[in-house]
This record gives sequence, C-alpha cells and structure tokens, in this order.
Amino acid sequence: MQEKQWRSFEIAGGANVDGDAVDGEIMLLHMAKLPRRRPRRSLQRCETINFVRAHSTLHEILSPEERAIEYVVARYQRVAPAVTRVARSLAGDDELQVRLGSTASARTREIVLDPGIFQAAYARRAPVTPSEVALASALHEVVHLVSTHLEEARPLPPSWFPKRETPLPEEPVDLLTALTEAGGDAAVSMFFALEDGRQELTGMAAYPGARSVLTDMYQSSIRSAMEAAKPLGQLAISGFALVGEHVERDVLEKAAKPKVAVALADATPFFEAVKEAENAWEVGTLALQVLEIAKLHGLASESPANESAAQKKLREELDGQAIEEGVDRVRLISPIVQNLDGYERTRQLEQRAGADGEQGPSDVADDAATDQLLRVSQAPTVFLPTGQGGRLMVSGFPQRFRQFGPAGRETLLEAASAWGVAQRHVSGELFPLFAANQRRGLRSGYDAGDISPHAPLFLGAGLYQRMYERRALRTRRSYAVSLLIDGSASMLQPRPLTSTGGRTAPWGLAAATLGAWTLARLCDELQIDFEVALFNRSFSARSDDSEWSFSRRKSGATGGLRRSQGQAADRLTNTINHYLVKPFNARWRTSEDLLAGLFYAASHPTRAAAEARKAPHDSPPVGMFEKAANVDEFNLSYAAQRLSRLGATVRVLVVLADGMTRGSLNSLARSVEAVEHTGTTVLGIGIGDDTVQVAYGRHQIVERPDTLATAMVDGVRTALRRSLALSGLDEWWTRAGTREQMSAWKEKPGA
Amino acid sequence: MPKTVVFTDPSGDGPPIELEQFVVPKDLPDDAHRVGKIPEPDPHYVDLGMLYRFAAMEDVRNRFPEGYQPLHLAVRGHMGTGKDHDIEQFAAMLRLPYYRVPLTGEVRDVTLIGSTLLHGDGKGGTESRWEDGEITRALRGPALVNLSELNAAGAETLFALHGLLDRYAALDLPTGETVRLRDDVRLFGTMNPTDLRDYAGTQTLNKAFADRWVIWEKAFPVVDQIHAMIERRYPSMSQPFSEAISRLAAEVNASFTAPDVATRVESPMSLRTVLDRVPTGLRVYADSEDPLRRAWEEFVLPQIDAFDRDHYETVWSAVVRKGPKGPAFR
Repeated sequence: MQEKQWRSFEIAGGANVDGDAVDGEIMLLHMAKLPRRRPRRSLQRCETINFVRAHSTLHEILSPEERAIEYVVARYQRVAPAVTRVARSLAGDDELQVRLGSTASARTREIVLDPGIFQAAYARRAPVTPSEVALASALHEVVHLVSTHLEEARPLPPSWFPKRETPLPEEPVDLLTALTEAGGDAAVSMFFALEDGRQELTGMAAYPGARSVLTDMYQSSIRSAMEAAKPLGQLAISGFALVGEHVERDVLEKAAKPKVAVALADATPFFEAVKEAENAWEVGTLALQVLEIAKLHGLASESPANESAAQKKLREELDGQAIEEGVDRVRLISPIVQNLDGYERTRQLEQRAGADGEQGPSDVADDAATDQLLRVSQAPTVFLPTGQGGRLMVSGFPQRFRQFGPAGRETLLEAASAWGVAQRHVSGELFPLFAANQRRGLRSGYDAGDISPHAPLFLGAGLYQRMYERRALRTRRSYAVSLLIDGSASMLQPRPLTSTGGRTAPWGLAAATLGAWTLARLCDELQIDFEVALFNRSFSARSDDSEWSFSRRKSGATGGLRRSQGQAADRLTNTINHYLVKPFNARWRTSEDLLAGLFYAASHPTRAAAEARKAPHDSPPVGMFEKAANVDEFNLSYAAQRLSRLGATVRVLVVLADGMTRGSLNSLARSVEAVEHTGTTVLGIGIGDDTVQVAYGRHQIVERPDTLATAMVDGVRTALRRSLALSGLDEWWTRAGTREQMSAWKEKPGA
Repeated sequence: MPKTVVFTDPSGDGPPIELEQFVVPKDLPDDAHRVGKIPEPDPHYVDLGMLYRFAAMEDVRNRFPEGYQPLHLAVRGHMGTGKDHDIEQFAAMLRLPYYRVPLTGEVRDVTLIGSTLLHGDGKGGTESRWEDGEITRALRGPALVNLSELNAAGAETLFALHGLLDRYAALDLPTGETVRLRDDVRLFGTMNPTDLRDYAGTQTLNKAFADRWVIWEKAFPVVDQIHAMIERRYPSMSQPFSEAISRLAAEVNASFTAPDVATRVESPMSLRTVLDRVPTGLRVYADSEDPLRRAWEEFVLPQIDAFDRDHYETVWSAVVRKGPKGPAFR
C-alpha cells in the first residue's frame, strides 16, 4: 500500500508514537514527517529476492566435522581480534573484553559470547562463508548485548491502558513489567521482535557488510518460516524483517496469508516508526499498537467478555508463543532480546558474575567448559595419509611431577640395577665421531647474536650490522631422536615381571621411562637433539595443573559441555593428548627432574596417588592417566612432523605402546610408512602386544622390563650407527654392532 | 606590495589567517635554483587543519615579534598520514623553496653541514675546497627545510644542529664561517612515533634535541576527511565506492591505533593506499565483477604482513563484504 493511500486507522483507545493517549480518535501516522536517517540500500538490494537460491550453502560446503563446535570456535578465533576491536568501537569502551563463555552475558567492560550461537548460524542455508558467519554472528551478539538496556523505570503510560477505569499506580516500573501489565506475553514478545530488528539496524549501521550477512541468512529462512508460522507469527516476522530492512514488504505479502498481508499494510507505518524510535519505551508503545492492529485483523485473539485472569494469561501466552516461534525461525537468536526469560537470565548472569574487573585467568569467562572448548578449537589438526584428520591436544607435561624428582632418581637407580640397564657413560666410542658431524650453519647480518669470527673485518669495513651472526639452520646437529611413549593407564597396570609369569608389578610405563632416561643421557652426551613425549587419550592436563585443579577442571568441563553440547561433550573432554616431557629446545638438565618424577609415579602409582590425595593442591595430576585406548597414528604423525621440522639429517622416532590403537591398524601402518618415506627411521616397541608387527616395519615385542629399556636404547643406538655406516663411516665396530644389536629387532622386507 | 595568501580553518572555528608570501631575492647566486625549488600547490590537497595550525604559528611570529624566538615545528604521525605533504604544501602556499632532507642512520653531520673535499687543480695536483652540506646549502637563502624522519638519525649527528635550533640560531662551519638562520628560513621536521611498530631505524628522540622543537601529532584522518580527499582527487568516483574506501581505511586505521596489541594490526591503510593504489586498482579492474574487491586483493592485501591478513579481511567483511556495483568512475 502506498503512503498516500494510507487510510486512517481507527483504534479504540490507541496511542501515538510518544505514548500519549489518543483515546477514541482517529490515529494517523504522518509518514512524510518521519525523518529518514538511513539510506535504504539493503531494501534495494533485495528487491529481487529469490527464495530458491542457486548459491552454495555452508551445509553443502562444510562437512559435519567442520560444523562441529570446536571448528566453529576455531573460525571465530581468527576473527576475534577484529570483533573485539569493533565491539569496543560500538560500545565506546577501549577496554572492553570480548570473551567466550557457556552463556551470553554483558557487564561493564566484558561481553561474553556463547559459541553455540555461532554454531546455530551454520545451520542456515544461506550464501555466506564460514568466516562471514563467525563475524556476523559475533557482532550481532555484541550489538544486542551492548544495546539492550531495559532497566529504565517509568510510571505506567496511561495510553497503554485505554480501557482501564481504575487509576494507575504511580510507582515507576521497568519496561518489561509495564509491557506485561499492558499486553501480557504477546506484548513482550512483539516488543522483543521489533527491538531486535531496531538494534540490528542502528547498531550495525557502521558495518553494512556484516549486516548484509545477517540479511542473507534471514532471507534464506523467511519462506519456510512464513509457511510454518501462525498468522500472528507471520506479522511479527514481517515486523522484524521490515524494521531491520532485510526484506521488501511485497515479498512478505506474497508469502503471508491474505489477512496477514492486509494487516501488514496497516502495520507498516508503525514498523517504519520503530526504525526512528529513540528508545525502548517508544518501541514498547509501537509494539502495543501493532498488537492492536493484529487484533483488529483477527490475527491475535480478542479478549472475550467475562474472561478470567487465568484464561487471559493463557491466551496472551499462546499469542506470545506464536510471535516468538515465528521470529525465532528467522532471526539469529540472541538470548537477551529473545524473550523475557532470556533477558532476565542474561542479566542475572551479569550480576552473578561478580564485581567489575573480577575476571578469570583465561581468555574465556572463567568457566571450565568454554575453556576446554577453546583449548580443543586451538589444538593443531593432524592429517593422516589416509585423508583422516583430527585434533591433537599438545601441551607441556605437568610441571608438578618435578616434586617426585628426588624420589624418582633413587627409584631409577634401583630399577636400573635390578633390570640391568647400564647408567654409565655410554658414548665414549661414538663421541668424537658425532661431534665431528655437527654442523655450524651460522649466518651473519643480525642485530644480536653470536659475535662473528669475521667481526674485525666487518668493523673495519664499516659493516657494523654484520658483526653478529645467528644460526640460520634450525639445528646445528645432524641427528635427532624422538621418543613417544604410550601414557594410558594400562601402562600403569601390574604385569608379570618375567616372561614365564609369576610376580607382577606396574613396570610398563616405568620401564619405558627408564629407557627414555637412559636414551636421554646418551643423546645428551652425544649432543644429539632429542625429545620425549607422552601420549594418551583422556581429559587433557595443563602444564601448571595440580591434582586438585585437574580434577576440578575436568568435572567442570565435562558437566558444562554435557549441558551445552550434549553427546559431543565426550569428544570434547576425552581428547587425544600429546605431552612434551622434554622438548627438543629444552636442556636435558632442566628436564631431568620431570622425567624422574614421571618415573616415580609410573613405578609406584599407588604411592603417588596416596600423596596426591593428601595434598591435592600441591601434588601433580596423577589422575591424568586414564584407561582409554590411544590413537597412536595421530601422535606418531605429529611427532614426525616436529622431528622433520628440526632439519636434522638422521632422524629416529621410537614409539612405545602396549595395545591396539583406537584408530585403525591400516591408518597406523600407512602413517608409519609415510614417515619412513620422509627418511625418518621409525622403531615400534610393543609391550606384550604384537600390534607392532603389523604396523611397524622395524619392531620388537618385549615381555620383561629389562628387555624394554634395553630394546629402546639399543634400537636407537643401532639406527644411529647404521646412519654412520651409510654416510661412509664403515668401521669394523659399526658392522659388528649392527649385526649384534639388530638380532633382537625384526624388520619387514624393505624397511 | 608582497602577495598574500589566506589560510582558512577547516573546522570553521578560527578566523582566516592572511600571510605574506616570500620572495626569493634576485641577488642570490642560486636564485634560479631556489625559484625552481618552490613547490606547486597540489590541487587535490585537502587541509585537515595542519596547514591552518602552521599558519597560526607563522602569524604569531609576524604579528608579535617582541620577545619571539623562532620555533621549529615537527609533525609526528604514523606512515601515510600526510605529514610531509602538509609541510610541502605550506611551502607552496608561502612560495618558499622547499628542501626535504631525509635523515637516516647513515647520515652524518658532514652530510648535513658540509666538508672539505679534495679537487684536482688541473696541474696534476690537488687542492682542498669546502663544500656545503645539504642544510648549509639550504640556509643560504629563503627556504623551508623539512628534516624528514627526525628520529632516524643518530643523536651524535643531530648534536651538530643544536646551535641552529636554539637561541644561537646559527651554524658554525669548520672554515670559521657562521651561517645564521635567516628570517626567511623555516625549519620543519617529521617523524614516526617511536613505539613497538615496525619503523625500522627509528629511536627515541634525544631529550635535548626534542626540546628544540614544537612537536605536533598528526592522527589518521576520519571517514569524512578521507571521503573529502577522495572526492577532491577523484571527482568522478561514484559515491558508494568512495564511501566504502573511506570506511575501510578508517576502520583499518582504528585497528592500527588500538592500544591493545591483541586486537590491532601492524600495518595501517596509508593515504598512499587510499588515494593512489586503490583508485588505480579500480581502474585496472574496472571490468571485473567486483572491482573494489579485486583492487583490495591486488593493491591492499599484498602490502600487509601475513599475520594481519585475517584482521584486514574481517574488516572487509564487516564494512563492505560485497563491493558496490560498477562502474567505479562516472
């Protein structure tokens, strides 16, 4: 309907846009007088809206895995700095923090976004990209959290109660209370629908790109939403879409039922007025007027004579539900402007969040569930040769294990003696040979670093900036060894100490740690780069965790994620973990205590657990070893990548496991093969388990602790010797050593 | 009667300032060279207030000579804010020969002041002759000297200029000659802020040297100012394009100047990008489906650090997402 044809609309007991009563008179909205502050470009753009879009949609582009919450959060993390900066501009607060949390809320200097809202946006079949959705949904949430302030209290406007004969109370009330009093749930729902659209229009005016993403998402939903909505819901959808300038009115009229289309024509001037409204109270007035129009057109239920209070409440609730359900099918849901409950819940959370400035230690709003979600989303993705991919939680090994260091050293000596693993200097014969093979790899021309041996020449030539040099190569060593140990709880289970059975002891992880210790000393003496990593599948510990903090985080994250993510919680909490006990770049001396502490916990798990129970705040998280099947291939591939990045010529990767991988043997075998193809020697050691025979080209199965530690040390020593032989250093002892040592190791043909 | 030039306050707050233009005396040995050094007014230049501030300072000097000591102006601002352009245009308006002396870590006092050089005497021998350095040469006649990148030069180099910049107002040459600061010489400087940004070679200004300057900050222009510049330079550019470019630049630069390192970018969108590169890109990709996007991809993104790319692209998505329909130029 054109503006000039706008007919007078008679409402018994209506109100004008200022909320003043116009009881019984013809209420006219003079459209020409309404200021137009914003160009209506978005309307022009969607003139030819086509409901059946040929564009790709996120559902078609992204696999179900990529729509998983951790991937959604990871995408948000890429746009997060810009979102925070823009949010600060919108809020006019340079210190505003935008965090992720399990429930959206806003308080002074902090906005908490619920990543579940981003995920919901992915369900739209709209021509938008994942990063656009991440940006638009985050900004959308920020705009609503920043703009929604409904606390201002005013006396009940008389114009809202035209039929009321008794005087209104003078006590000021907040807007939602006033709306509930005037029109019940239906009025509140209509208000939120219109206010939602208004906030998006004004709040995102400076960011038309982000707003156009919302428009695309809304347009993709409108047809189905209109089909499913009740008449009152259709009117509310139309109001929301027109106020937000997302869709043209004729498009809505075509999709609406005939009587809704007629009502829409009458309601449009009110929707236009909402765009110009200065505050939420004005929007409240207009929402009541739109409801009156709905009643006059039979879209909303009229109040019958002699209606009881309960009947009235029920009727208003049904109307409110129709509005909310309709609009929810179109809009991105932001709890604070979704409905009364959502608004109150969000505000309560803000109050419960405590005093200003009291923030959690992490980037998230101090809740373990979101913290865990963020950790998972930031974890590196490892791809296997089979095409499979998965996230690996990589972190430092909990440093509190150092507390067990002194006791661990004593236990180590005892075990080494008992199991016959030599702890003497093992490198005498090899040292000169290995030292000669170290590479220098220095390059001059840096601001700081080692003084170049040519510094006097450079200084003489005035080339001051070249007197320093820095290592251009990632390592100056030709050899690197990586040791990957299965850290599942089964490694702590008692097992027979001899191959013929008899007495049992938890020697799996202990013997592996002893082997690692011995190997570490060997590598340290030979100046070989080496690392020790542990892998398992459970809730991931942090490097600063104590038993108390670990268990508290675990229960908090598990409970929180079960509530917010349902079945996905198990995947998000029971992660594939990769702990760096002694990274390549750490000095062996600084890691000795950590490895000794791990040895203690591994050889005396019961004692370690008892100590943890006594002082949970100070003791290491001994509960981090869970009995869950590992996924060896991801850990192996990741360790191999890290080893490869180091740039050493000879690389040896030792994997020690005691059971079947949770992945597939085929994947593991192909991963091992792929790593071997890069020139890295992979040695697989199985503790009482013959899986290694299938998956590893070079393997050994051990049944006793003494053979395990010896197998690790000898396997590596042999691989290093063989590399010397291949590089032309074919000495008698090398050949003899190889023959002797490789006798215990099995090799597949071609390995 | 000397010609005059009027400076108007772009904010509309201050009164117009009328200043006399300088004249290069004919009796100078290098008068022709100096006249050739007077810059032409840039028809596309938009004064955002800096020229008016320069003029206000000049006006004080002219109108209130009592007790006045020559003050020297340094403009500090990030790359691409138009600092040198402002100073050059001030010289153009006042008809002063413009000498831009770039200071770098390699510049030594002999480069600025001068040195004795050996010359062949044509008879198989040599003779030593004094040769003016860049600043000394400029000081011998009317000039506006712009010492650009003030904080890139070493402090020991700048010590040589202390006497010129303070009450002594002269340079003593090793030859025994004293070159005084003439009334028709103006000294200006520019510099980038010294913070953690990647302005290689800059350093904190020596306090004694800094005390010899009036230092004014120049911020990035806001949306309306950028828009005005684009419209002045490219009157035929259609408004949706100029608006989008202005918004992009203002948003990126707001990210650049953000105090929080976690939310900022390390590369701003300079006026060179906004006024030179992007419009050229619009013409190069005029026939493409989305000329602004192509110009952004080919003329903006390659300029920035890889780790800023996500932030730039996010700003693009927030502000533009899909470029306006062409043609970009009417």
